[in-house]
Amino acid sequence: MVDLMLLAPEIIVALTGLIVLTIGIFMGSSSKNVLGYIATAGCLAALAMVIGNFSASALMFSDTLSVDPLSQFFKLVFLVVALIVSIASIKYTEDNKDTEIFYTLVLFATFGMMFVASANDLMVLFVAFELASIATYALAGFEKKNPRSVEASMKYLLMGALSAALLLMGISFVYGATGTTSIPGIAQNMDVLASNAIGLLAIVLLIAGFGFKIALVPFHMWAPDTYQGSPSVVSALLAAGSKKMAFVAAFKVFIVALLAIQADWRMAFAVLAVITMTYGNVVALSQRSVKRMLAYSSVAQAGYISMAFVVLTPMALTGGILYTLAHGFMKAGAFIATAAVVYMVIKEKRDTEIPDHLDNFKGLGKKMPITALCLTVFVLALAGIPPTAGYMSKFILFSSTIQAGMVWLAVIAILNSAVSLYYYARLVRYMYAMPHEGEKLAEPAPYVAALLISLVGVLAIGLWPEPFVKIAMQAASVLVGGI
Amino acid sequence: MLPVLSLIVLIPLLFSAFAFLTKTREQARVVALMGTLITLVLTLYMYFSFDSSSAAMQFEEMASWIPSLGINYHLGVDGISMPLILLNAIVIPLLILFTWDDVRSTPNRFYGLILAMQGAVIGVFISLDFFLFYVFWELTLIPLFFMVNIWGGPNKRHASIKFFIYTHVASLVMLLGIFGLYFAAWDQTGVANMGIAHLMSQFPMIGSGIARDAIFLALLFGFLVKLPIVPFHSWLPDAYAEAPTAGSVLFILLKIAGYGIFRVILPMLPATGTPDMMITILGLLGSVSIVYGAFLALSQKDLKRMVAYSSVSHMGFVALGAAGLVALSISGAMFQQFSHGLIMSIMFMSVGVIQASTGTRIINDLGGLATKMPKLAVIMMLAFMASLGLPGLTGFIAEFMVFTFSYVNVPTFVILALFGVVITAGYHLWAMQRTMFGVYNGKIGEVFDLSNVQTFSMAVIALLVLYFGLNPSPVLDMMITGSNEIVSLMAAMGV
Repeated sequence: MVDLMLLAPEIIVALTGLIVLTIGIFMGSSSKNVLGYIATAGCLAALAMVIGNFSASALMFSDTLSVDPLSQFFKLVFLVVALIVSIASIKYTEDNKDTEIFYTLVLFATFGMMFVASANDLMVLFVAFELASIATYALAGFEKKNPRSVEASMKYLLMGALSAALLLMGISFVYGATGTTSIPGIAQNMDVLASNAIGLLAIVLLIAGFGFKIALVPFHMWAPDTYQGSPSVVSALLAAGSKKMAFVAAFKVFIVALLAIQADWRMAFAVLAVITMTYGNVVALSQRSVKRMLAYSSVAQAGYISMAFVVLTPMALTGGILYTLAHGFMKAGAFIATAAVVYMVIKEKRDTEIPDHLDNFKGLGKKMPITALCLTVFVLALAGIPPTAGYMSKFILFSSTIQAGMVWLAVIAILNSAVSLYYYARLVRYMYAMPHEGEKLAEPAPYVAALLISLVGVLAIGLWPEPFVKIAMQAASVLVGGI
Repeated sequence: MLPVLSLIVLIPLLFSAFAFLTKTREQARVVALMGTLITLVLTLYMYFSFDSSSAAMQFEEMASWIPSLGINYHLGVDGISMPLILLNAIVIPLLILFTWDDVRSTPNRFYGLILAMQGAVIGVFISLDFFLFYVFWELTLIPLFFMVNIWGGPNKRHASIKFFIYTHVASLVMLLGIFGLYFAAWDQTGVANMGIAHLMSQFPMIGSGIARDAIFLALLFGFLVKLPIVPFHSWLPDAYAEAPTAGSVLFILLKIAGYGIFRVILPMLPATGTPDMMITILGLLGSVSIVYGAFLALSQKDLKRMVAYSSVSHMGFVALGAAGLVALSISGAMFQQFSHGLIMSIMFMSVGVIQASTGTRIINDLGGLATKMPKLAVIMMLAFMASLGLPGLTGFIAEFMVFTFSYVNVPTFVILALFGVVITAGYHLWAMQRTMFGVYNGKIGEVFDLSNVQTFSMAVIALLVLYFGLNPSPVLDMMITGSNEIVSLMAAMGV
């Protein structure tokens, strides 16, 4: 008998999506705000269920789904991001008649991500992956009249389709060699792959497939355009949520299923991690669009997290996993803050060509003090300044690299971290030290609420990390069984 | 018992938050003054109940923070840290008084940052856990960055970012060293523990001399850049000179690098793979800084840059005294930190007043200010004399102790550094002569002397320079106890 309690979070999220859709269709175009609150409530309820059953462990549906601390941890990440995005979107969707579609897509995307986290079979993983992806393709193009948004969606869709094809091909190679799509099953039949060139080919295809979603260089080309063109709240979902989906999938596929041929993929991840963090940071330096800068910074952050694959110790995995949660808070927060600024800029009908241009952040500390303060904390956290979530997770991840004796990798990562400080500090400087015009603005409450949630998350992980480290360790212990 | 150490960190941080929330200049400065005064009272309470003959940690506090990584909230003070806390606690309220009548934009942020800075700096001095230490260490960057970036001079953008990145990179290198130490000790003992004392006690047992040297150099680099010492000093003149007066004073009070050298570097030094080389690095860089910094100061046209470079020169004494390796030379280096904090605060305040009053800091455009600004002239003269090492003032005690007692172990470097003293006397007197004395430069126009609050705050610091110059024992005694402890730790390490 399947324990439905363990699937309750997924069920709640899916049902909420359907409820929002149904209510929205039958509702007049006015006062659709309530949909945002319903979606938020759904996320909160699901979040409570996940936290309540954190240490659960069960296999269900012919072992194709596995509920374990790893999946629970990532569900936590996805739900937190979905929660933040839903709250912030209450303002964003205010004047939109397709509100119900927006929330439904957000919830379905989250639903898909949650299934990826629990998948114990490559087919389930792939289907869930695509469920989440298709919803996000639509979300990226949600501003149908905005050519940038449409372009973002198109690029994302085409690249996503390509990556899906690569992924599927990789999976089929693995299946062909091992005769199974079950993740533990593959792990047992690894010796076939290890002695076979097909194994190598499968690794290349899988890394490319996941690499697209994670936005590892050189598979990142879509990311800056898509993050910039999408509505900012959607960018938050993409950068903070769906990127993590690819991480949990990669954790499962590489570390659980393909551990036996780690010698082959570890090197690849080492190279990709170094290129990704360096390229992301260097290119971010020259960006004038804040969303683009955050996109490149997100590329760089993915490079840091990928170090977990290279170091491959329990502590590194703990660090990498904790980093995904920390990054969820920091990145979602940063994009939401940008969303609030863009909203204001468009409302005031100032330079709307690139509403997220750095110049529009001038004097934000005076104009929108809460947004500016939160954004400052988020970017300092992204740079790894204590006492924030970013510092804490970098601390564990980088120090595990030293522990494993890979000082060179730690040095590269740390130097990168220092480079990144430049562009983060520049944003802070624009907000506080640049001359500006305009009066203090009333900051929209939904954005502020979402920002404060992210702020609490970022500071909580930084100041009181023990519980978070504990659950990340628990999650990592699922992966480290074989190491 | 009162958790006084937690309080002296939390109160400034808490009042910093209050200050940010205030609406007017009046409120902001009153909140700031209150916060710093409470901190001062607590610090004085600590100071007077401090047992300066004991080398043990006092007022210790300990709570588990991140047990899975062996990280604790562990605080304590001893003779190494107490004088520096006192320095901060005394000068910062005076600094707030000094800026009492400043009219500037967003005073709430200005005072909020000063208080945040105070909390962070004191936090560094009382942290006995490396993780906590590093957290506070990095936190000090943020207020200073904003201080320079918002209210700095024409080059503020360049200076603030340079400072931020330069010292952040150094801190990260230091962090690498901390990681190395942490994991090596973890491997040896099987227990994760970030305690500073624990890690240092494990240091001599770390495998190879090369590994120990690498860890040591990483830590040393972090501290030397922050100190700063030639050749890592180039961020300093920019940052000090571009900062607003209050920012420069905060930079001066940022004695965390020298503190780190005493707390961490010195006890570890004998256990490195090549201790002689490490002593040479420390001593050579110290004496080169003294001389080279003085030369650079001599060639400055801008009074504030001159003071900034003189700071590089004076920090050389900290490294030189540390390289002397005996208790009294180390105490001299500690006293130099304390004395430098007081003297330079007055010098930067004086420069600030001159600039505000005359509109320029270029030495050649000034002249004869003493006739128009007699109060400033007296106080500034005292600071200049203290800075060049006139007996009876704090600077003399520090330099005398460093020179005399370092001679035992590093005579060559002492002799080299002695040349610096001549140049130091030269640029101080020359600058004084060209700004304060001589013919009043008519082009300056109307000038105004110190206001009453400014006179008060500067005079108090000046009196302290005189008082501790005549009677150094109230702080020197605890420094000597601390230095003795360092020396005995070094002896225990020297395998």
